[in-house]
Amino acid sequence: MITALLIVHGLIAVALLGAITHQTLAALAPAGAGTHSFFARFRRVPPASFANAFVVLYLLSVLLGSVIYLQFRTDVRPILERDREWQAIGLFDLKEHFITIGLGLLPVYWVCWRRPMPNDSGRTRTAVTAIFAFIVWWGFLMGHVLNNILGFGG
Amino acid sequence: MTSARAFRRFAFTFGGVVPVLYVVALFRDIALFTVYPSLGLVMLGTHHSRDVADPALGFLAPEMYWYGWTATATLGGLAAGLAATLVPDRWTQRLGSVWVWVLPLLGILGCVYFELPWFRR
Repeated sequence: MITALLIVHGLIAVALLGAITHQTLAALAPAGAGTHSFFARFRRVPPASFANAFVVLYLLSVLLGSVIYLQFRTDVRPILERDREWQAIGLFDLKEHFITIGLGLLPVYWVCWRRPMPNDSGRTRTAVTAIFAFIVWWGFLMGHVLNNILGFGG
Repeated sequence: MTSARAFRRFAFTFGGVVPVLYVVALFRDIALFTVYPSLGLVMLGTHHSRDVADPALGFLAPEMYWYGWTATATLGGLAAGLAATLVPDRWTQRLGSVWVWVLPLLGILGCVYFELPWFRR
């Protein structure tokens, strides 16, 4: 059961990663109309359209992660401690902290993309989106680092 | 429009306050509740199983604080956000919106500092 949850958690994380990467690049460096490279097409998405999906995916991912985390604490972390994988523990702890900071930022993110005010500069929106990109990439990569260290659920 | 502005005030306050309270909860060890996953137990407040047991037996009842820290920060953020909806718009406009991403960045740095001991072992 926990392995199935972990796979679903991973799939949601992939979708989250795709959405936030598209959105961040589109916000940071909007593509010009004349360019047709892969990178330009990657950035030429309507970034606001990702916002609702991102919020739902983020919440789902946190919810699943919270459930899986219970088993991680009882079954996986003691082994990491036994094997003195201190850095791995620290990296994963950072993941949990960053996820909570992201939870706090979620309403701001949504307001910035879906209910912007006419006098908004866009800097706040870009900064918040970039912070989310960092959090999601960190969470994804550290999840994989931990998963691959011991073969979680194997 | 009024409710949209109120929600905006809530969101911006919540987004700035949660990272700060989370870092305070980390450093001051203020978890709203403690989870003992192996026992299926949730206890109100911050509890350290090694306070009462032999330290060598700590692995029998590992405690989890992340849920409690998150709850502490979220509740505080909710309270601050709701309070912000009650104040006039001009009060919050005067503060600007930079802090809504600066405080999370500082929060991230605070968390990194908190976890540094793992990387010095």
